[in-house]
Amino acid sequence: MQNVIDYPAQQATGNTASQMYSDNASIWHHMSEALHQSVYRVLTLLIAVLPGILAFFVALLLFASAGAAISWVLRRCLTWLKFDTRIAQKGGNDWAPTSSPTEIVARASFWICVLLGLVIGVSAFDASYASGAALPISLLPYLTHAVGAALLLIAGVLAARFLSRSVLISAVNAQLQYARVLSLGVKWLVLVLTAAMVLDHLQVGESIVELAFGILFGGIVLTLALAVGLGSRDLVSRSLESHVEHTGERPHIPDEPSTSSRQIRHF
Amino acid sequence: MATANPIPENTVAADNATADLLVLVTAMAPDGFKGVLANLGSAFSADSFIIATQNELPADIPPNLRVVATPQSNASWSLTPVDFVNAAQSGLERGAKAFLILGPEADSLSPLALRSLAEPALSASIDLIVPHYSLPPHAGLINSAILYPLTRAAFASRIRFPLSIDLGMSARMAERLAGVAERIAATNQAEGLLWPVNEAVAAGFAADEVDVDSRAMPQPSNPDINSILASITGSLFADIEAKAALWQRPRRPPLIRRSMVEADQSDGTADVARMVAAFQLANANLQEIWSLVLPPNSLLSLKRCSTLDAANFRMPDNLWARIVYDFLIAYRLRTINRGHLLGALIPLYLAWVAGHINVMASGTPAERHIEAVAAAFEADKPYLVARWRWPDRFNS
Repeated sequence: MQNVIDYPAQQATGNTASQMYSDNASIWHHMSEALHQSVYRVLTLLIAVLPGILAFFVALLLFASAGAAISWVLRRCLTWLKFDTRIAQKGGNDWAPTSSPTEIVARASFWICVLLGLVIGVSAFDASYASGAALPISLLPYLTHAVGAALLLIAGVLAARFLSRSVLISAVNAQLQYARVLSLGVKWLVLVLTAAMVLDHLQVGESIVELAFGILFGGIVLTLALAVGLGSRDLVSRSLESHVEHTGERPHIPDEPSTSSRQIRHF
Repeated sequence: MATANPIPENTVAADNATADLLVLVTAMAPDGFKGVLANLGSAFSADSFIIATQNELPADIPPNLRVVATPQSNASWSLTPVDFVNAAQSGLERGAKAFLILGPEADSLSPLALRSLAEPALSASIDLIVPHYSLPPHAGLINSAILYPLTRAAFASRIRFPLSIDLGMSARMAERLAGVAERIAATNQAEGLLWPVNEAVAAGFAADEVDVDSRAMPQPSNPDINSILASITGSLFADIEAKAALWQRPRRPPLIRRSMVEADQSDGTADVARMVAAFQLANANLQEIWSLVLPPNSLLSLKRCSTLDAANFRMPDNLWARIVYDFLIAYRLRTINRGHLLGALIPLYLAWVAGHINVMASGTPAERHIEAVAAAFEADKPYLVARWRWPDRFNS
């Protein structure tokens, strides 16, 4: 540091070649010193958190193994006790073969153990991080945010798929010609909402994301409103007419014979 | 309409009475109930049966009629689990040997029909007697397309109306159905459907059908095909899933003893073009969902069907059988959400209806076509059994 301060003074004295050589050597020296210090800091950080990382993985591995063992034992016991049959007798048979009650209990026990291992591992990592907290890192808080964001993303994608299928099937059965557009609109609405929530959770580009989300969401809603409004005027008027007929606000007017299918009775 | 204590003074107190036959009459309009009482009076002698009902008795009924009150049920277009429980409780307490359950609008059944429903159970020769209605060709289409062929193929039963709303049965059959009904009611499915024919086959009881001529069929309060098809088909799929161990065993179906009634073939105003358009729209939009359920062969056949115009539209019988089987497998495996699955079946069912109407218009009697469809289901049963056991062998 002293060399850096001295540098303007030396320049002022007018010593040229020898002084230049001496200055270059000094810069290299400073650079290597800075690099050494940086490597030292990172190594110190690694040494400080390495036990935590190791503890995290050991805890996860141990609890996953314990979970697998518990799951295996539970599966065997419940099969022996004919748990599935008993549940079916009491509460109906609404179970898929891949997710029978026994399977659900066994899988749940395994994942509970894994989750427990994860929590214990993270807390061990946290403790080791705290002990080495003299060195600043921003990895851990970001990691927890990333896990939350990943969960949000998975939930959002699942919700988008479910809702888009619901809309598609309902629209097709209502014989709307733009069923696919409607379904895609709903899907992207949910996906855009999810993306905005994920980015917000990760604290990435906060105001830009909010603005972009508002524009995109509003745009999609407006597009869908126009599509539905312009495309299904007949459907809405038919629906309103049938509602009025059902509530008895006006006398029933029989359908035109050419458009009626009243002779078809499905049941 | 119904009250807590609807039994007037002029009827014989039936609380401690016994009779061989218990007749459960579900909720219906006062005029309809009056008609049922008159028909019952004509069909049986007054001392041979007891009526269990939640309906309010009219003032001018025969004084020697024995009536017991039952708890309320919400039967509007089909029998509910509560009806079976009520029938069994009322009848078994009074030593009934035979049971007759009459659904809504049963006043359209003749005294002869009522007698023919009850007599086999009274003579203890048959445990379940199901009426064979004579319906117009454009009525009862869900039954013709799915319920009858699927029940016939799976359970080797030739009963034409497996979801009948009138039934005659023996005491042990009534007891069994009440047990099933209680289990359904316990799972908060007050509107759940019971499949008496499937239960009779599962119990090894004898079941048969009798001709009862025409009958006014009550329609669901919400006539929307989306909800009707989903609820009825979903219930049958669930019942078939529950009895998988039973129907996978090979069985020899009994011979058909009923006569093929050639009903009026008038084309009427059936809107085939609208149904074909609905199918074509679905074919253009639902490929993503159908491809999760149907194998490529079926998808290709559907694509070919979608190119036909309304007048020439046909759904091949074997294709329809495969479609129903594949949807049943997907229902079992929960390949997609069950609500979505049954929703995706609706356009295919409408396509079958359009094809069926065209077949009838070409001069083929409706019953002959329905029997051909049922035969296609029977012929393809090995496919169902194979996919049920090894669902992963899908695209081979």
